[in-house]
Amino acid sequence: MSNQSRREALRAQQRAQAEAARKKRIITVAAVVIGLVVLLGGGGFLIFSNRDSIGAKSDVPPNANQDASGIIVNPGKAKAGAPVVVVYQDYQCPWCKTFDEALGPKFLAKANAGDIQLEYHTMTFLDINLRNNSSTRAGVAAACSDAAGVYAAYHDVIYANQPTSEGVGYSDLQLRTTFAADAGITGDKLVQFQRCYDNQSMAGFVKGTNEKAGRAGVTGTPTYFVNGKDVTKQLDYRDPTTVDKVLAG
Amino acid sequence: MTATTSRDIAGTPPVPDRRRQLLDWIGLAARLVLGGVLVWAGAVKLPDLRESVLAVQAYKILPFDVATVVGYALPIAEVALGLLLILGLFTRAAGVLGALLMVAFVIGIASAWARGLSIDCGCFGGGGEIAWQEARAKYPWEIARDVGLFLGGAWLAWRPRTPFAVDAWLFRPVTDDDLDSAVHEPVIADPTYDQKETTA
Repeated sequence: MSNQSRREALRAQQRAQAEAARKKRIITVAAVVIGLVVLLGGGGFLIFSNRDSIGAKSDVPPNANQDASGIIVNPGKAKAGAPVVVVYQDYQCPWCKTFDEALGPKFLAKANAGDIQLEYHTMTFLDINLRNNSSTRAGVAAACSDAAGVYAAYHDVIYANQPTSEGVGYSDLQLRTTFAADAGITGDKLVQFQRCYDNQSMAGFVKGTNEKAGRAGVTGTPTYFVNGKDVTKQLDYRDPTTVDKVLAG
Repeated sequence: MTATTSRDIAGTPPVPDRRRQLLDWIGLAARLVLGGVLVWAGAVKLPDLRESVLAVQAYKILPFDVATVVGYALPIAEVALGLLLILGLFTRAAGVLGALLMVAFVIGIASAWARGLSIDCGCFGGGGEIAWQEARAKYPWEIARDVGLFLGGAWLAWRPRTPFAVDAWLFRPVTDDDLDSAVHEPVIADPTYDQKETTA
């Protein structure tokens, strides 16, 4: 054989090897990139998806509705067939305060007369937006106040003391002491209320109300449902007669 | 040999030098702008991925659980795609994915607008409901911006070869130099080689 053809055959083999090395290089880099993305994605998911559930216990307030998605404000009062009014709210949401103070008394009066069943479904997503945990703590305190029998009153006290600057939130002192006093919780009930707040045993329930609201398609607050229908856009906080309209319609 | 190496890796035909240079720089600009925006958009969401989940859920397009997964995955995908584009690594794939992402964003924003949702697009963190006036004023700009970024991604899908790209190293074709350097490595030759030659 000639040296020429021998060299060419060797050359071809080297070329094949070089091509294989090139291919291997590309695949290796691609695998590293994909591996990094999967690793980071999985890690991020684990960190944040577990953040809410750490230490969440699952006591349920006495007047929770059937699927524990909220608390009934007027337990045992609604007449048969009365419309169910659900208020989705976040205690740190300024518009919730505005709507609650403007329209809340009217809903409450109808609830106490038995004309509607009124439920507050507390959401906590503003904790994430505002980088604090005041919505959850206020929700837990409100759930504890239900055990003390003063849910509606405590709810009003929270909104009355909502900080004017969104994001300041509520202190533990406010929630367990000041607000409790304002809502009229005293004596043994105060001891129980504060124990309930301190051990955060309602945290699991509040996490649940937030998640169930999300699953119901509620992504903002305040949102008002009448018999499962979103009527928020028909409500005007400057015109309480809109409450009658949405209940009639 | 030189004829094939002078063609770019995507196999686009050779073009005159000056036009080619211009196209190169446009490609580099597309890479850096789309990549930079994606890295920025993803990075500001990383401190709390749950906010991103809320932003995706606020569009009310995807089912709750799907929106949750997308909310977690999106910021990481954005940062990853952005870094690939800035590095010029797998430029064509990153360009295609970046362009598809922009199509999805435009559909999402247009759909929210059409349904009268007043939400923040959540493009750079934030998200969720805002005042209708504010939302309506922002939607057209958000869509225009994403269309522009889509064009950048589409450009790179069409013409992925750009200057200062890692791809130039990664995808460099085998040259004679590679073979010369490979000579020093042990080569296991076909032991039957001589035989074949002699019996032929």
